[in-house]
Amino acid sequence: MPAASPSPIAARPSPVDEPIEKGNSLWHDAWLRLRKNKLAVFGMGTLAIVAVACLFGPLISPYGYEEQELNNTFASPSWQHWLGTDQLGRDLLVRLLDGGQVSLGVGLCATFVALTIGVAYGAVSGFFGGKLDAVMMRTVDIMYSLPFTIFVILLMVFFGRNIVLLFVAIGAVEWLTMARIVRSQVMAVKKMEFIEAARSLGFGHRRIIFRHILPNILGPIIVYTTLTIPAVMLLEAFLSFLGLGVQPPMSSWGVLIKDGAEKMEEYPWLLQFPAAIFSLTLLSLNFLGDGLRDALDVRSSKD
Amino acid sequence: MPIRPRLLVAALLFTCLFGAGCGKSKSPSPDSSSAAGSQVPARKVLHMGNGAEPQELDFQVVTGMPEHRLALAFFEGLISEDPQLNIIPGVAEKWDISPDGLTYTFHMRADAKWSNGDAVTAADFVQSYQRILTPALAAEYSYMLWHVTGAEDFNKGKLTDFAQTGFKALDPRTLRLTLRQPTPFLLHAMNHYAWFPLHIPTLKKFGALERKGTRWSRPESFVGNGPYLLKEWSPNQRIVAVRSPTYWDRATVKIDEIHFYPIELAETEERMFRAGQLHATYELPLSKLAVYRRDQPESVRVDPFNGIYFYRFNVKRKPFDDVRVRRALTLAIDRETLVSKVTLADELPAYDFTPPNLIGFKSRHAIQGDLAEAKRLLAEAGYPEGKGFPKVELLYNTLEKHRIIAEAIQQMWRKNLGVDITLYNQEWKVYIDSQHSKNYQLARAGWIADYVDPHTFFDLWATDGGNNNTHWSSAEYDRLLRSALGAPSTEARYDIYQQMEKILVDELPVLPIFFYTRARLQSPKLKGYYTTPLDNYPWKYADLAP
Repeated sequence: MPAASPSPIAARPSPVDEPIEKGNSLWHDAWLRLRKNKLAVFGMGTLAIVAVACLFGPLISPYGYEEQELNNTFASPSWQHWLGTDQLGRDLLVRLLDGGQVSLGVGLCATFVALTIGVAYGAVSGFFGGKLDAVMMRTVDIMYSLPFTIFVILLMVFFGRNIVLLFVAIGAVEWLTMARIVRSQVMAVKKMEFIEAARSLGFGHRRIIFRHILPNILGPIIVYTTLTIPAVMLLEAFLSFLGLGVQPPMSSWGVLIKDGAEKMEEYPWLLQFPAAIFSLTLLSLNFLGDGLRDALDVRSSKD
Repeated sequence: MPIRPRLLVAALLFTCLFGAGCGKSKSPSPDSSSAAGSQVPARKVLHMGNGAEPQELDFQVVTGMPEHRLALAFFEGLISEDPQLNIIPGVAEKWDISPDGLTYTFHMRADAKWSNGDAVTAADFVQSYQRILTPALAAEYSYMLWHVTGAEDFNKGKLTDFAQTGFKALDPRTLRLTLRQPTPFLLHAMNHYAWFPLHIPTLKKFGALERKGTRWSRPESFVGNGPYLLKEWSPNQRIVAVRSPTYWDRATVKIDEIHFYPIELAETEERMFRAGQLHATYELPLSKLAVYRRDQPESVRVDPFNGIYFYRFNVKRKPFDDVRVRRALTLAIDRETLVSKVTLADELPAYDFTPPNLIGFKSRHAIQGDLAEAKRLLAEAGYPEGKGFPKVELLYNTLEKHRIIAEAIQQMWRKNLGVDITLYNQEWKVYIDSQHSKNYQLARAGWIADYVDPHTFFDLWATDGGNNNTHWSSAEYDRLLRSALGAPSTEARYDIYQQMEKILVDELPVLPIFFYTRARLQSPKLKGYYTTPLDNYPWKYADLAP
């Protein structure tokens, strides 16, 4: 087990004349393993392309996402408008890229919020155990039982409609599962000898949690994070559908797909392009998540 | 969360993606012969899309349009209207109006019968009116009868003796209504289900009169006096009407059965029409209109509809307390482009406040001005080029069409005036509530008239009007409104309305956008069925070509 630990406890005194075998860091190993996984590499590449396109595409495009050409509505894809135009004559490509900023942004932002709260909460709960654990986990159970939509509507009512708040609201809901996963991992790890060793050296709780336990449970955390991003993007689509998400004329992938689905028989491109990009991104994230899990989970991939 | 459902979603999306093209290859073919239930060729069965499931078939306690079409099948009022909106006889074969316009005497035909064989009498009408006005029934449309003396007081509980109201059965076949003030449009207003009779003895059999939803309106106990009889009511599936053997004008009725389908989704309706399962739809999705116009124009019907689409200003809130701002925003909308490129259903751009097809009334005043004037007005109001314009939120109810229109107008204001607004949608009930409590700045709204007379559109903006909701108030306007009903002739009355129209055009409490039309699909085989501006054409003239 200590092999997984980043601290080089494993270095044993060796015969002087033999050169010391250079140890690989956890990250380096993981990276090598990840690179062998073709699907994961494909996922990473696609994500990078999509992210760069969404960030810089709208800057290059001659059209604005809210710019209407009412004389050119429902134009099919052409050289002028590569992906055609929508009901108000707005260029679909630039709306798709601009919507990608919202969708990817909400994915990253909300996931970051979920990650921060979930990891801290789960680690504390799992490490201290006992009554504190019981109280904290029952609180999570209670929050689980709250209907999500009502919770978000409540947040919107209290804090007003604001896109940043939307990111936070989603993150504030998504951390629950993360907290549970982290807690269970922490409980397993804290019984191990190296933790006792750290304790016997007189380290404080904070140092033990953040320097000794967390690095050992990074695998599950990273994997779950890559799985949270698509879940969060789907949630944003759902909220925008209900009118609680982004407000027009801004768009997000969820909004574009919803609009396109209503008109798919007459103007199929309005659905095909957004759906293709959205599916591609979700699949890429899933591939990357699977790849990361295999790469980081030392126990399962030791050969 | 496990990974599986997410992959499933992705798979579904892909299916959508590649399945999308398939729908196109199937060309629309309205084929009524394959319609369900028409195996016996001799029977004419009409299949109608009817929007939503009716709240009730007790037509005194409902409010919707789908209910109106059902009411017209099962009941008949004293009078009716033809497609040109002329008054034609119903249960009453003739009527007299006193010279002062205050007394209406209806002479009812001898052969008018209920479906259980009883004669339709004047007492039936009086008892029905007593029921709808009973405060305990809380019928929303009871105000339709308030023109009659004492009706409002009785409805509000101030008068308890119904005999003191203006409803009188002089003899079994003569009904007299005494009005509290001349109401020139009374006959038009009477072509509404609030004025239809009910068979009171049947209602009494199934419970107290002021109880809603008793079993009298179920097929086994239903009694009506209209051209059709209720045969089957399968909630959320269909309502079947068969021709009534007792209806006085049964020789005119040509269709044997009408099946009403409560289908709320316009897309579903359109697919059923394409599959030949419906002869006519209740509405038509906007995006399908162009396709049908190209492929089978004979099935498309776009009719004017007695209503106006507008944006309400809350004139107590900045910046809309300034008429120059209201005017600038009103002038900066390109209504022609909006109706021809965005709404697409031949709506009429609105530059005044009254729809054009209101029996002879056409506004002489219109909102006039160009973009330069709009910019000048906005600068005068203190917002040159839109600088410093306060944060404004446009409220609309959650519906695709309203969002698209709002986005187009938002962009016009941004481009033309430099004014930036945000959009905000609410569910229908919350949205209605926000307007009544005047908790909005700018709100999308519509008004569909209950009867064909300009009065209904002027009534709206009275200071105490229940649907004014803008805080706008004008003493002069209120005075004109009160004097209108007492005007000696229709011309004089319309002259007063013209003056009121002038006030509205000057003050702009709301921003008119367009006058509604209704687009729907109707098989060319369905003859003799027209949509009037209120969608209340009688069923008895409808026929199906083989």
